[in-house]
Amino acid sequence: MQANRPEDFSKNVSKALAQPDLKKIIRRTTDKAETKRAEAVANFPEFENARSQGQKVKDHTIKYMDHYLAEFEKNALAQGTVVHWASTGEEAAKIVLDICRQHKAKKVTRSKSMLGEEIGLTHAFDNSEMERIETDLAEHIIQLAGDPPSHIVWPAMHRSREDVVKLFREFHTDPTYSEEITDLVRSARRDLRTKFLTSDIGISGSNFLLADSGSSCTVTNEGNAELTITPPKVHIVTAGIEKLVPSMAHAVPLLRLLTRSATGAEITQYITFHNGPKRPNDADGPQECHIVLVDNGRTKMLAEGMEEMLRCIRCGACMNHCVVYKHIGGHAYGSVYPGPMGSVLTPHLNSLEVANKQTHACTLNGRCEDVCPVNIPLPKLLRSLRAQSWQKKYEPLTNRFVVQSFAMMAKRPRLFQLLSSCGVIFMKVFSRKGWIKYMPFTSGWTRNRDLIEPESTTFMHQYKKMKKAKSGGA
Amino acid sequence: MNSQQNEQSRAKIFSAIKAAAPTVTMDVKTIQEEALEILKESEFARPKLLSEDATQALVLRIEAGLVIGTSCEKLSTLADLPHSVKQFFGKHSLPHSLKVQGVEQLEKLNWQGISTDSDIQQDNTVGLCWAEYGVAETGSFVVHSSADMPILLNFLPLYLIAVIPKSKILHYMDDYALIANEIAKKAETPRNMCLISGVSGTTDIEGVLVQGAHGPEILHLIIVEDQ
Repeated sequence: MQANRPEDFSKNVSKALAQPDLKKIIRRTTDKAETKRAEAVANFPEFENARSQGQKVKDHTIKYMDHYLAEFEKNALAQGTVVHWASTGEEAAKIVLDICRQHKAKKVTRSKSMLGEEIGLTHAFDNSEMERIETDLAEHIIQLAGDPPSHIVWPAMHRSREDVVKLFREFHTDPTYSEEITDLVRSARRDLRTKFLTSDIGISGSNFLLADSGSSCTVTNEGNAELTITPPKVHIVTAGIEKLVPSMAHAVPLLRLLTRSATGAEITQYITFHNGPKRPNDADGPQECHIVLVDNGRTKMLAEGMEEMLRCIRCGACMNHCVVYKHIGGHAYGSVYPGPMGSVLTPHLNSLEVANKQTHACTLNGRCEDVCPVNIPLPKLLRSLRAQSWQKKYEPLTNRFVVQSFAMMAKRPRLFQLLSSCGVIFMKVFSRKGWIKYMPFTSGWTRNRDLIEPESTTFMHQYKKMKKAKSGGA
Repeated sequence: MNSQQNEQSRAKIFSAIKAAAPTVTMDVKTIQEEALEILKESEFARPKLLSEDATQALVLRIEAGLVIGTSCEKLSTLADLPHSVKQFFGKHSLPHSLKVQGVEQLEKLNWQGISTDSDIQQDNTVGLCWAEYGVAETGSFVVHSSADMPILLNFLPLYLIAVIPKSKILHYMDDYALIANEIAKKAETPRNMCLISGVSGTTDIEGVLVQGAHGPEILHLIIVEDQ
């Protein structure tokens, strides 16, 4: 599947809405995640306190980011880790590939990391002489399918069991002929086992970077991170600079929030802190450890007053609860990060000019903010991006004309009321059984959904009538 | 990327942060005090345990099915461990073969009738390891990499048995973080510190949970009274 581009958002959306089963497939996973999260929060009465504490941990670290970055660097170097810095995604991907080439790597295993996708690592390897092996089951599925991820926690949620059966039969050396999900997972286990053990380089992301020890922390349910990192001779970590926390004790509240918000589980099965290369007598482990600290737009977010977005711990709760995401899925956003968090991040990682339409694909119902484990005010940030987009004149001329016309009318109450009354009559002409399926100038809306029939009179008319009735009654 | 480019990128990132927040203090003591202040909230921001006793809380959590693919039992003496392992083999219809971690506590036991050095790179094997700690809050056991502890022992076998000394069971993850901090102060931090809370699982195909994705499918925790 060819990756969509963010600037083609409207086309991507039309394409997604035309797929009859997509909504059903997405909702199967997101609805379950929504229910399980609600149960996890109900079983954790201290959740609001944890949320407040988690927010404070992130805000504190962001406030003193240069202090903690310097501390992390010092302690990581002391552990024997080689620290690299990358201002951009391209720089980061080049650093990783250079390390692999220095070691004459042929096979590279990688555990799931959205930052790896963000910096274009998957494409960089695919255009190289090296074999990239994704070890997270979902990433393994989308690698075989040639798809981009469609969700940050379940990147293959757009693929059905039938798709997986076909892919595994085509690509696995010892495939299963069963269609049972357990057997499919066993097939992947068999296929990946030797690849884990014969890899030259293991690449991981990091959920948290601990400043006081120079450690990186991986969080998985499959245990694929440890299997990716331990057998090869070199471990490379790629991490955004916002992953910093002061210490392990500060990572703990965020760990409590992360899985509950992501999957509804109280904790993931595997939390591992990685502290540099193997010690001289260690039974196993990589002989070299590198960490690539990536900016790629994060300091720009700090400078532009979007630092609240740097709190994000990538749980995916905002997209699981987003009415827009549930309709169009992740690919329509044309970015590594879909949903509400993606609509704020993409304009900074790419550009607002390219990704301004995503900021409008939001009803501002506030559900994303309600469920965010670190209280990111996503609707506020989206509104701010909309304002910037307007000021920079990124909106299409037709949109600007409509909004400016509305502004002109809204400043003239009599004209506004007259036109509103005419509008109600006009809409009534096209309504059938309470719904409008077609009406001139509204095809953008009615192409994929019906408009509700308006009340018989305008709001102002009803308001005045009600006020009159009240004063008459008194 | 050469070191000069690396230095340039580093300088660029630091100057961008400084430019974004030019008035922020860099007094280390103030920063540390603020960081510690946040941790004072932990007491009110963590879940209640199922029992005040850490061991009991961990056992209740596992018995309630809250730790995926995990069972547990208590032993009053470590000498009974080989017998428990044989029962585990019987329950899962396994041959009497496993890989015992090379620590004195386990190696000195009477393993008669059990092969103790199976190749964990093969699938369908059983691993036996000695945990450094247990954590009641999450139903976890903790292992540290070392000369005696190959990390892969916890990730390759399809069946895993972990022995936790009762005195090493902690109430909360915060308690383990304090211990990790003490280890760091002595410059003895191991390469890997793994908190393992259940078995290798995935919900990546249609949201259905399958155990044994890459690593263990079955985990058995044995809590042993200290000798």
